[in-house]
Amino acid sequence: MRLSELQVGDKAEVTGLEAEGSVRRRLLDMGLISGTRFKVLRVAPLGDPVEIFFKGMYLSLRKSEAEGVLVSKNGRLGDSLPMGRQLHRRRNQGGVQ
Amino acid sequence: MTPLQEITVALAGNPNCGKSSLFNALTGSHQKVGNFSGVTIEKYEGYVDFKGYRIRFVDLPGTYSLTAYSPEELVTRHYLAMEHPDIVVNVLEGPNIERNLLLTTQLMEMEVELLVALNMYDEVEAQGIEIDVKQLQQLLGCHIIPTSAKARQGLDRLLDHIIRVYSGDIEIRKNKLVFRAEIEDAVDAVQAELLHEPALDGRNLRWMALKLLENDREVYQEVHQSPVWVKIERLLQQAIETTGKLYQADPEILITEDRHALIRGAMEECVRIPEARKRSLTDYIDAVVLNRVAGLPIFFGVVWLIFHMTFTLGTPLMDALDLLFASFASAVSPLLSNEMLRSVIVDGVIAGVGGVLVFLPNIILLFIGLSFLEASGYMARAAFVVDKVMHRFGLHGKSFIPMITGFGCSIPAIMATRTLKSPSDRLATIMIIPFMSCGAKLPVYVLLAGAFFPPAVAANVMFGIYMLGVFLGLLTALLLKSTVLEKESEPFVMELPPYRWPTLSSVLFQSRVKAMMYLKKAGTVILLAVLLIWTASNFPKNAAIEKDLAVEKARIEATVADEDARSLELAAVEHRASAAQLEYSIAGRTGKLIEPVIKPLGFDWRIGVALVTGLAAKEVVVSTMGTIYSLGDVQEEDTELKNILKHDPAFDQATALSLMVFVLLYIPCVAAIGVMKKEVGSWRPVLFYSSYALTVAWIFSFITYNAVRFML
Repeated sequence: MRLSELQVGDKAEVTGLEAEGSVRRRLLDMGLISGTRFKVLRVAPLGDPVEIFFKGMYLSLRKSEAEGVLVSKNGRLGDSLPMGRQLHRRRNQGGVQ
Repeated sequence: MTPLQEITVALAGNPNCGKSSLFNALTGSHQKVGNFSGVTIEKYEGYVDFKGYRIRFVDLPGTYSLTAYSPEELVTRHYLAMEHPDIVVNVLEGPNIERNLLLTTQLMEMEVELLVALNMYDEVEAQGIEIDVKQLQQLLGCHIIPTSAKARQGLDRLLDHIIRVYSGDIEIRKNKLVFRAEIEDAVDAVQAELLHEPALDGRNLRWMALKLLENDREVYQEVHQSPVWVKIERLLQQAIETTGKLYQADPEILITEDRHALIRGAMEECVRIPEARKRSLTDYIDAVVLNRVAGLPIFFGVVWLIFHMTFTLGTPLMDALDLLFASFASAVSPLLSNEMLRSVIVDGVIAGVGGVLVFLPNIILLFIGLSFLEASGYMARAAFVVDKVMHRFGLHGKSFIPMITGFGCSIPAIMATRTLKSPSDRLATIMIIPFMSCGAKLPVYVLLAGAFFPPAVAANVMFGIYMLGVFLGLLTALLLKSTVLEKESEPFVMELPPYRWPTLSSVLFQSRVKAMMYLKKAGTVILLAVLLIWTASNFPKNAAIEKDLAVEKARIEATVADEDARSLELAAVEHRASAAQLEYSIAGRTGKLIEPVIKPLGFDWRIGVALVTGLAAKEVVVSTMGTIYSLGDVQEEDTELKNILKHDPAFDQATALSLMVFVLLYIPCVAAIGVMKKEVGSWRPVLFYSSYALTVAWIFSFITYNAVRFML
């Protein structure tokens, strides 16, 4: 599933990126990497772009850019709520000391 | 007194992290503004004297990362790598520490002398967020000082630590970021190859290797000519294959993930965020401001407010400045007996300086408004609301506000395009701003529409002219973006920062900076051009005309007894003389020279002269027409000029409409051209734009003229 297919209010988790070039880089830098959970907050009055919320950040992106973000909608309840944030307690797969 | 020892400190941090407030709080009034070389990104420098040291601060542009994708990030990288500041203070937005730490990890990779200012610490405490600063220090391998620029907390401690780090008086082990094994292996291998390239002596090779794995354009440019590239290319390819097999991801993604993994680890160990936090103020405001129904009306309301503040408040100030210069000129002119010298000083220099200064109120007011919007957080939301429309024309949501400002005056509008980060978006926006009919063109429309159309129709005609400008502007953007300019615009992946109340001092500081920039850089170009046009419309002097005028005057003085009649007749001959002089001048000859070119548009040489002098400022078109149609200094409401034009056989509705279209579209005033040159950095795009504008103006005037003639 892609981020662009989500509805307002949906919660999901990033599973991968298909975007290219500067869009991909920006998504990565903003923290939209595998495992990031977010909520779709709203769509702009004209229907594009969309706003999502994660890790205390309000982020807007165009639908065309959201198409490059693969997501899965199995978001665990209560995680990464926009209106009531929580600490991220997920263990990462990376081997960093 | 012995000179103080100097320490150079660079401030780096995310946008909206309070870096500029901290810079202001630290340096107070000891500031200056310049540009980073080669780019229109402002460089703020300032200093403070502390405990026997002079600490110089350079405020780097706000960035989330250190890639090669945006000019801001490149500037930051170049500065850190080439200028070698003694210390880099990484300013973190305390309440959003997690995402701010991404830049910190990249600064660690660059191996700079790092010091972290945990800013907005008062907000951190107010929100009940607990940060184990000591533990975080160990993890990041650098000192962390809690600060608050707003509450002026921790500033002395920060300065104290700067000196301690500088003098090596620190007791903390530096940490190196370690990536997963496959990445580390690849970094080591590439680094080993880079070692064979003597041109890279003294560079941070580990960092360069990492950047190559990240597909960094700039480092690639630097290395791909070198003989070692053949091997490196193979190594990079291998790394992509290995990581692809193991993780189904390329090194670029894995490196970023590992950075985030380090940050997550640090967050878990050192930061406690209270659960179930309340809806923040930002949530409440955005529920209204970005509402699907209310969002657009609110946006237009804000734009309307800014526009009105700038031009309704600014125009009286502009007029006052105008008046001030006029009275100054009339005070000075009797003091100068030499006619030539008087003309140069009064009509040339004073009028020229005045012509530069009159734009100041608008510039200052607009930037008070814009920096308020920017600092409060609304600017990003404005872009969010209108991006869909703008994007359709190849522009960015942020192009909208500069565009609208163009209806008031192109100059502040062009300067306001600096909020656009992508050079291609910026150039496209700059080039369409002059199509938004500016305030100075209005007198021309009022005169012509008033003279040739009944009042009810005149308003529609003017509205039509404005709409034509908007339409052609947007079309131009589309055209530019699909031909000469890079298609790829700035991604809209953009933070909507939490709302904050901006500090008055930073808002005022911003507008002062813009005002100074305008005066210093654009002012000189504008002044020169105004003087040039003045010279063109006054020289060469025709002695015969002056002699005739003197003879005529003497005759009237001698023959006409009635005082009123005499002054009327005197004025009439003077007007005739100045019209004759204008015809004789370079401007007049230019008008005649270009007559064949503008003839198809329905213009004769007299309009040609008005168009030439109109380059000084668009409202000059009216006053030149006043002179050249033998009338003297006319106002826009002047029914006399209207009547003259109405009864002029060379003028009809077709000519009037054609002229309005031409004035709308042709080259903007020299002041706008000067600012344009300043903002785009070179003459080429400006010349391109000018020839484009002239061509478009000619074509549309031609169509208008002939279509109207055909219909009449």
